[in-house]
Amino acid sequence: MTDLMGIMVVTLMIWVGLFAYVYRLDRKVSRLED
Amino acid sequence: MRVSEALKWLLLVWLAVVIIAAFFYVRPAEGFIGESSRIVFFHVPMAWIAVLAFLVSCITSVMYLKRRDPKDDIRASVSAGLGLLFAVLATTTGAVFARIMWNAYWNWDPRQTSITILLLIYAAYLALRGAIDDPERRASLSAVYAILAFVTVPFLVFVVPRIYWSLHPDTIINTRGSNEFDSRYTQVLMASLVGFTGLYVWLYTIGCRIESIRQRRRQEVL
Repeated sequence: MTDLMGIMVVTLMIWVGLFAYVYRLDRKVSRLED
Repeated sequence: MRVSEALKWLLLVWLAVVIIAAFFYVRPAEGFIGESSRIVFFHVPMAWIAVLAFLVSCITSVMYLKRRDPKDDIRASVSAGLGLLFAVLATTTGAVFARIMWNAYWNWDPRQTSITILLLIYAAYLALRGAIDDPERRASLSAVYAILAFVTVPFLVFVVPRIYWSLHPDTIINTRGSNEFDSRYTQVLMASLVGFTGLYVWLYTIGCRIESIRQRRRQEVL
């Protein structure tokens, strides 16, 4: 794996992780609003 | 599936495609060491979101002073917080770029100096909010402060770095008023700006909803 590919994979993992965190937070807030 | 739900999943895919394109759709730009030019696809949108968030904070502060609706105060504080977060991220990515290009994370370049002042101004906004207990007094004072703080943004972000000689590469629209980016760079950068704006809108709405719940619970306790 090249360095560029490695940095891209890490960046993608950070984005997917951030998305998952925010998505869960969003659902939790929706539950609290009900 | 509701539209808002579909938009969230679209955002996931959109920014994933932007990340892949940033690394494999464009070639490294000339005049930059190694692959460092690719940071533009993340650094510029972060700086853009910081300015947008500070603008939203200013507008909602004006609305608060006009209507005295506590929701406007929540909107202003959430947006200022997000602006500060994205300004820190823009500063960090800028420092990484500086390390690659000029062998130092920090060299007090006009752009680095002006962003530091901006960070301090908005950190003081949050400190001001934390220092006042009375909600109405806090909302009024921080609204006035947010408006005054935003007056400095155009000077610190757009004017100061263009007046003084700077190591910072030309901005998208440079001082000659032209865009000298390669067309593929422009495509990926625009897609990234759209994606980051979507992310900001999502975070902003969640932040406002959390603050509203917090306020409601506080009132219930009282």
